[in-house]
Amino acid sequence: MFLDRLTKVFTSLKLTVVCLTLAMLLVFFGTLAQVDLGLYKAQNEFFRSFLIYWGPKGADWKIPVFPGGYLIGGLLLINLIAAHYSRFGFRKDKFGIIITHLGLILLLMGQLATDMLSTESSLHLRNGETKNYSESDRLTELAVIGKVDPRTDQVVAIPDSRLAGGSVIRTPELPFAVRVKHFYRNSLLVAQPTAGFEKSGATQGAGPDVWIREEPRTTKMDERDTPSALVELVADGKSLGSWLVSTRLAAPQTVTFNGRAYDLILRLRRYYIPFNLQLLEFKHDIYAGTDIPKNFSSQVRVLNPATGEDREVKIKMNTPLRYGGLTFYQASFDQDDRGSILEVVRNPSWVTPYLACLLVGVGLGVQFLSHLVPFVKRRLTT
Amino acid sequence: MMNPGSWIVRSPLRRPALAVAAVSLLAGCGRNEVKVYRVEKDHDAAPPMQQQAEMAAGHPDVGSPAKPQLSWTLPGGWEQQAPGEMRAASFSIKGKDGKQADVSVIPLGGDAGGDFANVNRWRGQVAQQPISPEELAKLAESVHVGSDPADLYDVSGQNPSSGDATRILATILHRDGTAWFFKMTGDDALVEQQKPAFIEFLKSVRFQAADTAALPPSHPPIDGMTLSPGMAGDTASSAEHPGWQVPAGWRQAPAGQFLMAKFIVGGEGGAQAAVNVSNSAGDGGGLAANVNRWRKQLGLGEMSDQDVNQSATPADIPGGNAMFVDLTGKDARTGQSARLVGAIVPQGGQTWFYKLMGDAKVVEAQKSAFTQFVQTVKY
Repeated sequence: MFLDRLTKVFTSLKLTVVCLTLAMLLVFFGTLAQVDLGLYKAQNEFFRSFLIYWGPKGADWKIPVFPGGYLIGGLLLINLIAAHYSRFGFRKDKFGIIITHLGLILLLMGQLATDMLSTESSLHLRNGETKNYSESDRLTELAVIGKVDPRTDQVVAIPDSRLAGGSVIRTPELPFAVRVKHFYRNSLLVAQPTAGFEKSGATQGAGPDVWIREEPRTTKMDERDTPSALVELVADGKSLGSWLVSTRLAAPQTVTFNGRAYDLILRLRRYYIPFNLQLLEFKHDIYAGTDIPKNFSSQVRVLNPATGEDREVKIKMNTPLRYGGLTFYQASFDQDDRGSILEVVRNPSWVTPYLACLLVGVGLGVQFLSHLVPFVKRRLTT
Repeated sequence: MMNPGSWIVRSPLRRPALAVAAVSLLAGCGRNEVKVYRVEKDHDAAPPMQQQAEMAAGHPDVGSPAKPQLSWTLPGGWEQQAPGEMRAASFSIKGKDGKQADVSVIPLGGDAGGDFANVNRWRGQVAQQPISPEELAKLAESVHVGSDPADLYDVSGQNPSSGDATRILATILHRDGTAWFFKMTGDDALVEQQKPAFIEFLKSVRFQAADTAALPPSHPPIDGMTLSPGMAGDTASSAEHPGWQVPAGWRQAPAGQFLMAKFIVGGEGGAQAAVNVSNSAGDGGGLAANVNRWRKQLGLGEMSDQDVNQSATPADIPGGNAMFVDLTGKDARTGQSARLVGAIVPQGGQTWFYKLMGDAKVVEAQKSAFTQFVQTVKY
């Protein structure tokens, strides 16, 4: 009885209409929320969530007030599949509809997979520069870099999500544990005692002469947070000292332990790629005699030691380079036109929207033909 | 590891909830884990906030530093100190009766909180009340750090701990994503006395940027494109452009890749105009097309070839026959009223374009200097 009622709810067309209406409202309010929250936070709170929470300012409690993107999308998906089962089944004359719905299901699932599995990062190259990594625009990591030999470093990269105050990170690759005494999501550093700033608390490296203040997290699109952390290195229960690491401190700080040197640096999170990209030249073409941009392009060289590949490719607006499971888009450039910024997208499910659209197209075609052909036959025989 | 894509395609209709859960679990993997890997040292040396220009394998060492290096003219009586961890440069000044002042140059990534927050921070250091953004604008004195304009703040008060009369002179230059703090702090009278020297010091600062990376000398031209003189490298390079005398008050600015040169001219109340110089092969599209292009920049409609010819003023100049136009409209990009004086000079199989555009008053004041500039160019 209960199961029947549940089935009725999930197969209901009303649920489809309600979900689509909620989705429209979600997009509307999610877009407005970007003004206050910024793009990234609004996306997380409205679209990458099951429920949207609200609480009065200053209060430490929140209540769910609206379904989030995952809940609406998930319900739509269940509704689509359930309705399909109960209404159409696998009848031959509904074959086209089955394929069409399969396409829609693939589209929804593909978007979920994209949302969860894809990463976006930036690759900034100056003319002539070669790199084999891209960097996150927003996420950071604490890198502890040990020298293996004169040519090779071993990197232990601790993501910022693990740098909460009080946490201790131990890995077999490091002879000491990293204890996070304080993590500042956004911070400002000064080099002298200043009202409103506290002493960093560091005892080693650049930190002892630095004063720090926690800043509110930025919601502006053209700014990013500059996190800092006070970390203590502990070996065999003994403290080696505390270091202040910050994305505002450009140079790594060196720690020597048991005769081996390690560099500590808080930096933008890196994504290494198994090949090198060299920027041969960035070109910012404009219409002759004007300042009006005509085209932006990066002539890059792909050097892959694994395959022995060494070739040149031109990456232009709307003509990305797809290589090694990654897509490199022309995203931005340096003010002096001598450097290029490529957006690097790793999306294992990039093909699903294409496949989904193909399935929907084929399905609609089959369904149309399945009616047209008998109709024409009837016309010819009568 | 299971390939989520293929699993979904194989059995999407059977266990959708499980599929969603599987994708969620897979997504959770790896993003928050500590990663350990080995890399070649060369590719891991660049600090994140100030990108180091790494050279291609085999590229000659051009000695490019990891971060911009400064040079300056040391004022008399200043003593250079070891810079320290955060400072790019450090100086001390000794006055009478043991009075001292300290000068620091500190680069910080990002905007470092902006002028408003920092000025109030400095005021706090000399026991002064914070000011409003409106008051801030009144306090700012225009100075130059090298050739870049900047605001200087002069704050005096008392050292909160010692009670000594203290003065701070400070300016923040925002350059290539870095906020450069130039600050003199110390005894009130000594800092006041050193203020002209500090302003001169700021003017003398030169940045030797880390962006000296260029194409390797052996690199072939790309796409076989013929670059006009001056376009191949640093467009502001004086060795590449024709001989000209830059009128007084014109400040050379970084030119875009396809501009031969760019100058900025300032007027009253921050009003500005820009002079762009570019050239093009052949007739560059012809007089009418280019004048209409300029008209478009001022939000003006197109004119026929005949009307353009009638509106342009021909002038014989030593370099050839120039056509001058004078247009008034609204800058299509800013919506503000603007005036444009342009000159088109065919010369030696190329056409040269000179454009003075900006605030109408500045353009009016600079028109004769601009005309003279165009007339005296030696090709």
